[in-house]
Amino acid sequence: MRTFLLIFLMTSASAFAQSQSKFPPPDKSPMDMCYYPTNYPILKIQNKTAEPPVCRIVYSRPNKNGRTVYGELVEYGKVWRLGANEATEIELFKDAKMGGTKLKKGRYSMYAIPLKDKWTIIVNKDTDTWGAFQYDEKKDVARVDVKAETLITPAESFTMYFDKVDNIVKLVIAWDNVQTKIPFSFN
Amino acid sequence: MALFLIAALISCNNAAPSVNNSSAPTHPRIPETADPPVDRSVMDMSYFPQDYPQLKMAGKAKGEPVVRVIYSRPHKDLRTIFGDVVQYDAPWRLGANEATEIEFFRNVSIHGKTIPAGRYVLYAIPGKEQWQLIFNSDLFTWGLRINQQKDLYKFTVPARRTSIPMQIFSMQFGKTAEGAELTIAWDTVLVSLPINFQ
Repeated sequence: MRTFLLIFLMTSASAFAQSQSKFPPPDKSPMDMCYYPTNYPILKIQNKTAEPPVCRIVYSRPNKNGRTVYGELVEYGKVWRLGANEATEIELFKDAKMGGTKLKKGRYSMYAIPLKDKWTIIVNKDTDTWGAFQYDEKKDVARVDVKAETLITPAESFTMYFDKVDNIVKLVIAWDNVQTKIPFSFN
Repeated sequence: MALFLIAALISCNNAAPSVNNSSAPTHPRIPETADPPVDRSVMDMSYFPQDYPQLKMAGKAKGEPVVRVIYSRPHKDLRTIFGDVVQYDAPWRLGANEATEIEFFRNVSIHGKTIPAGRYVLYAIPGKEQWQLIFNSDLFTWGLRINQQKDLYKFTVPARRTSIPMQIFSMQFGKTAEGAELTIAWDTVLVSLPINFQ
């Protein structure tokens, strides 16, 4: 009986697996979204915002998983997709400035070149692509250098979110023991 | 059924535990140490042409993408979804968390109705026999409060039953003679929305 049940179970599990295979499995590095104003969709259903959103980022969140990220997994001095899978996307719903550089409203891809002490953040016109494999510098619309800060508590999952401190909006990028903050203005 | 048996077997604790574990479908383990945390109902994105970003990377994409959907993927676990977790005849956000978003990069036609290029919230009113799929203009919202006054287009599609339950809510585009279809599946229900652009 036990053997029968086990055989039945394994056949069912394999049929189950097959039925799922037509559809994509969830990514190991799941996608996520961050808005400015932060948590815009929740603010919206709580009637706490009357204005449209200003900015949105769609990115994927790899895990550290015990690895050394910077200098190994993510190489210094090379263009990196800021996450995993699809190239990270930034959408501005109005004209903005990123670290003093003007950006027109629109949808862009976003990359970084990490170094030990500073990162170059890149905004590029080419969207709907995968990783940084076809990255073309000629399609850049902005490049901004920011300081690389050390985090005392490493971030397990790659994380991007907007934070407002002293009236300055910053996009915070954190993973492993490194954090960068990119100032934005949306006036 | 398979899930039920697995649960029953594990709780009986009769068979060798290692065999049990290897047979059971496992969920991805998501660490909860990061701030903000990673949702268990992970977000995902589907394009038509299917896997457009990979095609583009490989230099095989022809022109712009036609459509993409961004949605979140709850798990069935041991629950009955339709008629229980998701109530019949009530608006449902087609997933979890943020409202599901669909964007057409060109004009398309659904059931003979032209849908202009642009971005919409897509939600459903699931019924036992058929579902309504609704395009709405109230963007960038959380899925629990759909503003039905901003509905733009409604389409009725048949609800098909599948013999094996889909564990994780899935949305995927497939190619058809007239263009594409968006297939939506969870638990033992599957619906398809034809999208014409040829």
